[in-house]
Amino acid sequence: MKILIIEDEQALAQSIGTYLSDTNYLCEFAATFGEAMEKVEVYEYDCILLDLMLPGGDGFKVLEELKAMKKQEGVIIISAKNSIEDKIKGLEMGADDYMAKPFHLSELGARIYSVIRRKYFGNVNIVEQNELKIDLLAKAVSVNNREVPLTKKEFGLLLYFISNKNRVISKSALAEHISGDIADMFDNYDFVYAHIKNLKKKLTEAGCENHLKTLYGTGYKWEI
Amino acid sequence: MNKLLNQSLKQFLVYSGIVLACSIPVYYIAISMLWQYELSEHHIILTPEADREDSFLIIGAVTLLSVFFFALLLGGFVLLNRRISRRLWQPFYRSLAQIKNFNLNQQAKLPFEPTNIAEFAELNASLDKLIDGNIAVYAQQKEFADNASHELQTPLSIVQSKLELLLQSQTLRDEQYKLIEEAVHALLRVGRINKNLLLLTKIENSQFTEKEDIDLSGLVEDTVLQFIPFSQDKEQELQTSLLPGTRVQGNRMLIEILLNNLMTNAIRHSPPRSPISIDLSGSSLVIANAGSVPLDASQLFKRFSSASTQTPGTGLGLSLIQQVCNRYNWQVVYAYYNGRHIFSVRF
Repeated sequence: MKILIIEDEQALAQSIGTYLSDTNYLCEFAATFGEAMEKVEVYEYDCILLDLMLPGGDGFKVLEELKAMKKQEGVIIISAKNSIEDKIKGLEMGADDYMAKPFHLSELGARIYSVIRRKYFGNVNIVEQNELKIDLLAKAVSVNNREVPLTKKEFGLLLYFISNKNRVISKSALAEHISGDIADMFDNYDFVYAHIKNLKKKLTEAGCENHLKTLYGTGYKWEI
Repeated sequence: MNKLLNQSLKQFLVYSGIVLACSIPVYYIAISMLWQYELSEHHIILTPEADREDSFLIIGAVTLLSVFFFALLLGGFVLLNRRISRRLWQPFYRSLAQIKNFNLNQQAKLPFEPTNIAEFAELNASLDKLIDGNIAVYAQQKEFADNASHELQTPLSIVQSKLELLLQSQTLRDEQYKLIEEAVHALLRVGRINKNLLLLTKIENSQFTEKEDIDLSGLVEDTVLQFIPFSQDKEQELQTSLLPGTRVQGNRMLIEILLNNLMTNAIRHSPPRSPISIDLSGSSLVIANAGSVPLDASQLFKRFSSASTQTPGTGLGLSLIQQVCNRYNWQVVYAYYNGRHIFSVRF
């Protein structure tokens, strides 16, 4: 899977690149508007991360150009602006998602995963991992072909882990994923623990191997 | 309040009244003298009774005529005044109407109609200048808010991403992981403060002007549901009594911010296993939670006045609440009663 990171802040682009460069993702970088347009015109990507404020031009123009060329790339806008207007404008112009900086890399990982799945696996969107089978459209999970009933939050967590496999995920990132802005307001993330415990229990009881490892007391990792 | 032209009308009327009143004795004397002259020319001598009668007649006739003309003047003045004020002041009223409809948020200049009256042309030119200045300052402030956000959020996101990468190292010891987690925590707090400060600036800059009719009862109920996991963590019971069908006019995002901050404060600042009550009536929302000491109401809503080390909030929640209330002319009041902090919003 090829990903283009259009971001003028080198340090941030490098972090994203390093985080995503596991076996699945190959990252390329563009730091200016000109570079971005060049790469977008010549190459095909699976997903493009687009910063809106670029030296040499407006990120929206890149998006416009992509749509004019009828390219199918999934686009995730990453902006420091966090303004509703930008978000609406971006989504209306055909972006698939909008993330406000600062964000958790694991959250970015999950969003990229879901954009790519949506784009390329349209109708049969099923993730299989050994005995575990996840139907993304029906939001159903089965182990050895036996369905495991999960709550919405547990399903969200499972997907978050799968899309960030072999990565250490902190509890604060999980809390934000589950509760959005509200988690932001608290420093106590115990409720995350309860959801994870339930998810783990349901999966093991259904006969799924335990992929979810607890690290250093409060971190999690989906090992495969 | 009087209209400008009515003020001068009154003075004109008083003046003409005085002049007409003064003219009564003058007319009387003049007519009497003419009368006497005519009488003596024709050698007519009147009896004193007839003479007095004539005097009365003259006075009566002159007064009557004066009153008649005064009435004529009065009517004429009023009519003329109305016509003049309509015509003469029209450019002024048009400019006034435009200014009334002016919205700084739209950043649009006012197209004043050209007028050939010097005073109004000058007024319009000055207004133009004033409005241009305001628009420029407003745009600058908005730009500053945007830039400040960009400039701060970017380094913040770099630090956050580097810390998260550090978490991926294979050789971390437990205490190292803890150090990173603590740093991430503090960093998230900085991000939160930055976000809230920007939000405050935006509200003060009167952004978020879109308004809609909001089902407050439903919104409060949804908000409470979202907070249940957090209250359960502290084993706090959320007692709600919501009057259904309460509606308010406002910006959905601002009202969500208001509710979220009220709920967060109630849960965060009350001890575990204490009940929190949320009452919504037709005209007010009251949220009460347990607390051991009353808070300083005079400092409460100021920025950063409530940030304490034990409860690491942003110190901006209550300022945000107040700003949102100010926007819609609602009132937010704090009271301490029976060992409970009570925040009520009257709308």
